[in-house]
Amino acid sequence: MFSTVIEQIVNGIVTGSVYAIVAVGMTMIFGVLRAINFAHGEYYMLGTFGAWFAVDYLGLSYEASIIVGVLSTIIVAYVVGRLVMQRMVGAPAEAGVLATLGIALVLQNTVILVFGGGYKFFSGGYIEPLSVLGFSLAAQRILILVVCLLVFIGLELMVTYSRMGKSMRAVSQNVECCEVVGIDVPKVVLHTFILGAALAALSGVLTAPVNVSVYGGMGELITFKTLPIIIMGGLGNVRGTFFAAMILGIAESLVATYVGLQFRDTVGFATLILMLMWRPYGLFSTQARF
Amino acid sequence: MSLADTAQQIRRRDLRLPLAAILVVVALAAPFIGSRYVTHSLIIALIFMLPAHGLNLLVGYTGLLSLAQAAFFGIGAYAAGLLAVHYGTPFYVNATAAGLLAGACALPLGIPALRLRATSFVMCTLGFVIIGQAIAKNWISVTRGDMGLSAIPKPHFALGPLSFTVSGTTSFYYMALAIGALATLAVWMIVRSPAGRNMIAIRENETLAESLGVPTWRYKLLVFIISAVFAGVGGSLYAHYLTVVSPLTFQMYYSTTMLIIVLGGGAGTISGVVFGSLLFVGLTEALRITPELRMIAYGLCLLVLVFWFKKGFAPVLNRFWDMIGGAK
Repeated sequence: MFSTVIEQIVNGIVTGSVYAIVAVGMTMIFGVLRAINFAHGEYYMLGTFGAWFAVDYLGLSYEASIIVGVLSTIIVAYVVGRLVMQRMVGAPAEAGVLATLGIALVLQNTVILVFGGGYKFFSGGYIEPLSVLGFSLAAQRILILVVCLLVFIGLELMVTYSRMGKSMRAVSQNVECCEVVGIDVPKVVLHTFILGAALAALSGVLTAPVNVSVYGGMGELITFKTLPIIIMGGLGNVRGTFFAAMILGIAESLVATYVGLQFRDTVGFATLILMLMWRPYGLFSTQARF
Repeated sequence: MSLADTAQQIRRRDLRLPLAAILVVVALAAPFIGSRYVTHSLIIALIFMLPAHGLNLLVGYTGLLSLAQAAFFGIGAYAAGLLAVHYGTPFYVNATAAGLLAGACALPLGIPALRLRATSFVMCTLGFVIIGQAIAKNWISVTRGDMGLSAIPKPHFALGPLSFTVSGTTSFYYMALAIGALATLAVWMIVRSPAGRNMIAIRENETLAESLGVPTWRYKLLVFIISAVFAGVGGSLYAHYLTVVSPLTFQMYYSTTMLIIVLGGGAGTISGVVFGSLLFVGLTEALRITPELRMIAYGLCLLVLVFWFKKGFAPVLNRFWDMIGGAK
């Protein structure tokens, strides 16, 4: 009984890591653009499709497919960033919601149109179980955990020390002042957006061997999972996002085991609505930033 | 202004009344002009016009971007479907119950949601759709889960000894047209009333409106409920027309469709919503575009609308209307 609980918590942490990598990009994009990216899950889907294409059609190895998946997403993100995201600087919040909803519809349905709407089987990855601290865990899950930690450490360092990271923080505080001191705001927006999309794609490629199935609508589900996370974490708050993702991952895993699998996908929004009544600014932000 | 211009202006007649008469005649004669499939497309457009009218009150007049419309649409569809299947009640009872139930659900949902600001409010309303779908899927004893409700009877009316069933596509079209016209009239009356002006005041500047004594909180809650009632009635039409209701009635896609109608037609205008539902739902249905292509088109429309046509088709419609009226 007790070990089942621990096992579910460990599973939850792995799921949480997947969400965290996707959500952190979304929350950073919110930071610089003040816009919720409703299309964020679609980049997760694109990354997975890119990798699936590389493995299934091009016959590449899983390692190479990670690169193909992330690179193809970066190309799409560059185009979208140039054409759409850069226009959103200074636009009202509603414009951001609607434009990214539009992108989500276009990306998702283009992929369905090209590859068909059915489920595809993803073969590849490190699925053989490893024994760690008495638990047997698929190597892929351990890889996800490690990558998640590396991503967050890397982001923390980048945001604190690098020039790009500093400009991101500056843009998220005051766009006008950044323009005055000569920070290229559209460039910062584009870079942040591409970084976020690439992280989402990476998360998608890493999860594909665990989830096995690949389909066009998978991005929407991830968007709906990460939206509550970034609000709970406090919009634009990177550390808050990490903890919110872990909490949601664990909660989902426990609900799926003890309440019912069918309720798993509702946990996020149910928690979100309850939390918003109690703390409207997120769990980890003391006051409203936006 | 030269003399010739003045002369031309005098020559131009006010053609608005004849045009309106023609439009009414076309609307009434549509089932006999077009094919059965055209009539079907028009019915779908009319069904989506109702929630879009409600959403327009929220987005266009009060300035609250909500994605919850599909949730209330679904609640209405299930309410009407369940009543019709289990009790065989007449249509007007089902539609009223659907509207009232959606409105009643909007009250407890609106109170916490409306306390939130822009982004969080949007998220919260999106949550209602997702949770609504989960309830529809899992409350199997009532909703039959993923199987949904099927064989919902065609709407029938019973007044004393008189009773008739709306069975054909043509008669359903007239029923939907009548309800659509009533709804349009209702929106027009709401917007023209002092309440409508207060709503616009909230949209323009909520703080200022509040400082001038407009009870903004009550208005926002009331408009949220009214918009849910519209969606609920629309849902009842949907249930009776398609005769099937499944948990997929609660989906983001419907909320997006309603948003496209309102924003594309012109948020804050009534004619825009009517035009928008004909264009974005009626036309795409009539052209039998595959769902994927349609959604890609919707997505591109959203992008174009947000960045280039912020007011949708409303300015074009207004200019046309003025031109017909004889203005230059």
